[in-house]
Amino acid sequence: MLDILIYGAVISAVYALLAVGFTLIFGVARILNLAHGAFYALGAYCVYTLTANLHVPLVIAAIIAVLLVALFGIAMERVLVRPLRKLPPLAVLMMTLAVGLMVEQILLLIFGSEARNVPSLVESSFDFGGVLLSGQRLLAFFCSVAILGGLWLFMQHTRLGAAILAVSQDPEGARYMGIPSDRIFSIVMGLSAAIAAAAGVLVAPFQSVIPGMGLLPLVKAFAIVIVGGLGSIPGSIVGALLLGYSETIVAFKASIEWSQIVSVAAVLIVLIVRPAGFFGKRAAF
Amino acid sequence: MLAWGSLSKTDVIGAIIVVALLATAPFVGSRYIIGIMTVALCYAIWATSWDFMSGLTGRENFGHALFIGTGAYTAGFLNVSFGLSPWWGFPAAAIVAVLFSLLIGFPTLRLRGPYFALAMLSAAVVMQKLSIIFSETTGGQDGLNGLSPMLRSQVSAYYFTLGALVVTVTILKLIALSPWGTILRAIRGDEATCQAAGINVNFYKICALMISAAFAGFGGALYANYQLQVGPDLFDVALSINIIIMVYVGGMGSIYGPVGGALLLIGLTEGLRSFSEYRLWVYTLVLILILFFIPSGVIAPAWVRLRDWIRRSGATFARRANA
Repeated sequence: MLDILIYGAVISAVYALLAVGFTLIFGVARILNLAHGAFYALGAYCVYTLTANLHVPLVIAAIIAVLLVALFGIAMERVLVRPLRKLPPLAVLMMTLAVGLMVEQILLLIFGSEARNVPSLVESSFDFGGVLLSGQRLLAFFCSVAILGGLWLFMQHTRLGAAILAVSQDPEGARYMGIPSDRIFSIVMGLSAAIAAAAGVLVAPFQSVIPGMGLLPLVKAFAIVIVGGLGSIPGSIVGALLLGYSETIVAFKASIEWSQIVSVAAVLIVLIVRPAGFFGKRAAF
Repeated sequence: MLAWGSLSKTDVIGAIIVVALLATAPFVGSRYIIGIMTVALCYAIWATSWDFMSGLTGRENFGHALFIGTGAYTAGFLNVSFGLSPWWGFPAAAIVAVLFSLLIGFPTLRLRGPYFALAMLSAAVVMQKLSIIFSETTGGQDGLNGLSPMLRSQVSAYYFTLGALVVTVTILKLIALSPWGTILRAIRGDEATCQAAGINVNFYKICALMISAAFAGFGGALYANYQLQVGPDLFDVALSINIIIMVYVGGMGSIYGPVGGALLLIGLTEGLRSFSEYRLWVYTLVLILILFFIPSGVIAPAWVRLRDWIRRSGATFARRANA
């Protein structure tokens, strides 16, 4: 029982990180970013290259990796996505998908298909009432919660955060108030990329780092966001908890295989019962 | 009530010339080339069936491999595990693919927004994972091997696939030209107006997906029976994307364009054989360039231009002959 509680919390926290970035860029810029999983994989590979090849200390490597991926996200928005915004939304969707595949292919060309190892920041394990948890998982949990808290403070208590919220509510109205929507889109894409990269960096030590590692997290992020409601940040956190715990429960009670189906089953059930998700507005589209 | 009228004589003659050219391939090409061509024709069936649903109604399907994979695995199971003749695989594959299309289409196609596209994408990914996880029944990474061949010679398999492609394109094109197709295109244009006109939009969208899935499943079974092997790569996202790129190159919503797109891209793949690692890279680059510069595609617009040119020069020729 306790092991489900603890492992579920760790998984949910990482899922929440992934889903929050995915829902943020959708809520603000209406971009459904299929390259989100690529950001996650890029984060993990950046840390790997920096530590294994360039021998940068792990903490600094993690920070550089997150910044680099954020820059990549901004560049993608500026160069590839923005010119397509006039076209039907489908073109943007295809473009983000193309970028995602391109990143995966480039990683495959540079690093090959075998799994890479990233060292843990915390080597020791901790004992919680008989449940052994590795330090890196504990760190991933606390860092995720800290990042989510920081994001909340940023959105609620800074001018930039207020501007982002304003654009998400009404891009045109925000422009009339003198908020540069286009720049906000870039910033949010960078922020979303940074959060996804942070998730990749945090899980890299206990996940196999392979070029295709971003695909399943993308599917999970999508499922969480559907459950929580597209575009809603609190919704995606609740969705992450729901999905993280149900996967853990299924993994512990049935088998790890069946836990893969949970996300798709959840998507189908939510779309039939309440299509807007738990926290989404009805007819958000 | 088939709208033969909107197919001009030039269109039909053009199609016959293309089919005749494809039919001469076994006399010209080596065994190797015929093998590649057969695979390309399978891709053409998949791309055409994708175009029927997504090109006409404008609802993007990011997981067409779901239908292809389920069709191929159905054919594989019936043949390898139950020892049925390969011919049973075709109807069974189409039926199973249609069941999957109902499972995904019914909850998601009612909704506006990207739900359908993403649900298809994740369903295909999960099916691929499941096919690897339940490796006792599905053969895992190696898939199902040793299907018994349906046709003895390679050339007859090629002609069978070509025939299947011709039937697929003809049926789908005729539906697209019928009032049904008009409704599907109207849904792409403005869904709310269609609803206001009393059209049951969801019914048409789900039916279009079922038809698309049936042909994709059939194409999957065809591919399985030709390759005599089924693997989890038939559920791959890369396969879904390749198909979408072929349709983009061919021209969305034209039904015949994707056939050209498939042949062109498989040809390109063969040309880049020595750089096989860079293949998907090139594909995605092609996609990005097309999205930026020629969003209406290559093959279908090219044919429309050629046809107009033939008509114009034909008219001047007739005028001169009369004078």
